[in-house]
Amino acid sequence: MRTTLRTTVRTLGVAAMATSMIVLAGVAKAAMLGDGVTVYMQMGGQPGEPPVLPRTNGAKAAAAALGVKLIEQYSSWQAETMLAQFREAMAAKPSCIVIMGHPGNDAFADLVADAVAQGIVVTSGNAPLKELQVKYADKGFGYAGVDLYEGGAITARAMLGAGLKSGDKALVFGNFSRGDRGLSDKGMADTLEKAGVKVDRVEMSEEVNGSPPLAIPQLVAYLQQHPDTKAIGTQHGGITPLLPDVMQQAGKKPGELILGGIDTDPKTVAAVKAGTMTATLDQQLYLQGFLPVLQCVLSVKYKMGGFATNTAAGTLSPKNVDALVPLIDAGIR
Amino acid sequence: MTAVADPSPRQRRPRQRASLGARLIGTEGVPILLVLVVVLAVLMVLAPNAFLGWRTYISVMINYQPQLICALGLTLVIAAAEIDLSFPSVITLCSLIFAAFYRFDNVWWLSWVGAGLSPEAIKLLQAQLCWLGVFAALGVGALVGFINGLLVARVGIPSIIATLATAFVWRGLAVFLASGRQFSLRDFNQTDLWHVTTGRLLTPLFSGDVVLRKPDGIPIQALVVIALAVLLWFILNRHRFGEALLFIGDNANVARVVGIDVKATRVKLFTLMGTLAGLAGMFLTMETENFTTTQGQASLLVVIAAVFIGGTSIFGGSGTIVGSYIGLLIVVMLQIGMVALGLGGDVADMVIGVVFILAVTLHMLVERPERLKGLGFGNR
Repeated sequence: MRTTLRTTVRTLGVAAMATSMIVLAGVAKAAMLGDGVTVYMQMGGQPGEPPVLPRTNGAKAAAAALGVKLIEQYSSWQAETMLAQFREAMAAKPSCIVIMGHPGNDAFADLVADAVAQGIVVTSGNAPLKELQVKYADKGFGYAGVDLYEGGAITARAMLGAGLKSGDKALVFGNFSRGDRGLSDKGMADTLEKAGVKVDRVEMSEEVNGSPPLAIPQLVAYLQQHPDTKAIGTQHGGITPLLPDVMQQAGKKPGELILGGIDTDPKTVAAVKAGTMTATLDQQLYLQGFLPVLQCVLSVKYKMGGFATNTAAGTLSPKNVDALVPLIDAGIR
Repeated sequence: MTAVADPSPRQRRPRQRASLGARLIGTEGVPILLVLVVVLAVLMVLAPNAFLGWRTYISVMINYQPQLICALGLTLVIAAAEIDLSFPSVITLCSLIFAAFYRFDNVWWLSWVGAGLSPEAIKLLQAQLCWLGVFAALGVGALVGFINGLLVARVGIPSIIATLATAFVWRGLAVFLASGRQFSLRDFNQTDLWHVTTGRLLTPLFSGDVVLRKPDGIPIQALVVIALAVLLWFILNRHRFGEALLFIGDNANVARVVGIDVKATRVKLFTLMGTLAGLAGMFLTMETENFTTTQGQASLLVVIAAVFIGGTSIFGGSGTIVGSYIGLLIVVMLQIGMVALGLGGDVADMVIGVVFILAVTLHMLVERPERLKGLGFGNR
């Protein structure tokens, strides 16, 4: 009986140890790389907006995969709001803050310096902050996005490739006076001008920025007044899908105008498939949300320096558009 | 024999009739119509290709109906000495509600409807459910307006605060229900509902190829809004409800004394405004065939400017439906004109601001000519 008791106790002990090891292994497996990391991330516009949604989804996916606590901040693309949100984020003392470059290097300089001094990792996405990126690269300041100016230039080159030539007239409808946000419009306009195209740079109003359908009658009137216009370009993600409507209401036949835009709104995609939209810049915004969160975790946990990633911008074409439709509907592309 | 008193000198003087010009200027909408005529005349000279053809005007008719609807509704609200700052958010919310009944597969709270159905069956169901979406959108608009009204009339929160607060709520709710996503209403223009509400009339009279399966022509929405304007004019100027609004706008205490149920009237007013904003949201979604979470958000300043440019008094007690309709057209034409001339929205904003001041001054002078003396005119 004593032997049986000893054996039983021994067996139970072994079982208990095995169970503990299994539980601990499970707990260890459940521990994620980003545990304890809190990230405040500026998304730019408003929730669900076409140029914002894929970034948001990318950031959320990275946060879920890495176990990060993600706090989203929406600013309606207002630079002052972005700066205020940075101050709010700093006050919460997170592990990392992801900013966007729209306010510019000078506006962010002191704020980023304070944040870094407090041990907060700061990184960026969507719109670059080159000076700060160089200064704080070793502190984890990276960038995931497109060079805005180059992005506009890419779209312009696609428009030139579609038949726009020297001497032709083009309208670029954009945010030229809104600091870095206008860089892509400038890139587009400059590239077209260098190719000899006569470019009319027209600034859009705040109302149009916020409510893109209001641009339609304005552009229709422009095309009526300037019937020799051969192309319209814009780098506004809300106006791009409406360019075919502009064409139709202005009485232009498909192919009569070369249209260049940005992002992959479902209507834009449909227009590319139908051949009415010539080119639209694909920023792969999902990566612009995903990679900064990854940057944060690697810099917070392993003190990795900032890495800069060009999110492989290209233009959407009839060749790849069919494969992208389900992903666009899901807010990934 | 009954003595008849001699009439006093004042009574002997025959009543002087206002001149034709004065009566014309005093007619509702005429002063602001003159402003619109002047604006259009200037634009026709500066940008003849854009403003002497029909396409610009058809484009305005297609794209500005939601703002017109809101301006008409807001006229009644301001006439009652209230304000509603939540209508852009109501547009967003009701846009979503309507869009969701068509694309029920895209929203978590309706996706069960299409569970297990084939794509063909889903398409069939979409064409039917969108009709329900019309009532749902209007119903939600009425409900949120009703809540606004309760906050203002029953709880007693000033309307500027109540509706500013609820603007956040309705917009947040829209984003929540949409899961932060935007979605297109693919093939909506193949439904009967589209043809009835967003189709085009008199298409043989207008040239142009069909690029997006939307022919050129008079948009049905524009005619609906004109009918709505006529209805609201009669309500404001010939119906007891409108009379009550004007009384309340003039002096709510006096209105109460004469037997007007001020609270109930206010609740009805905001309910009406919510319904109209819901209609605006629905029309916007039908026309763009798209829902985004920022839909309608930029309408606030343009609509408010239109109402005051049109001649509705900020102090309440008077309102002009005709003026608000024309006021919005003035704002729109100026914006369009600046872009047609190759000038930007920044220039348009400055021009609109100046016209705003001039229009309001004109209204003040028409309503109170004695102000001219204060400016040094008419002194002998």
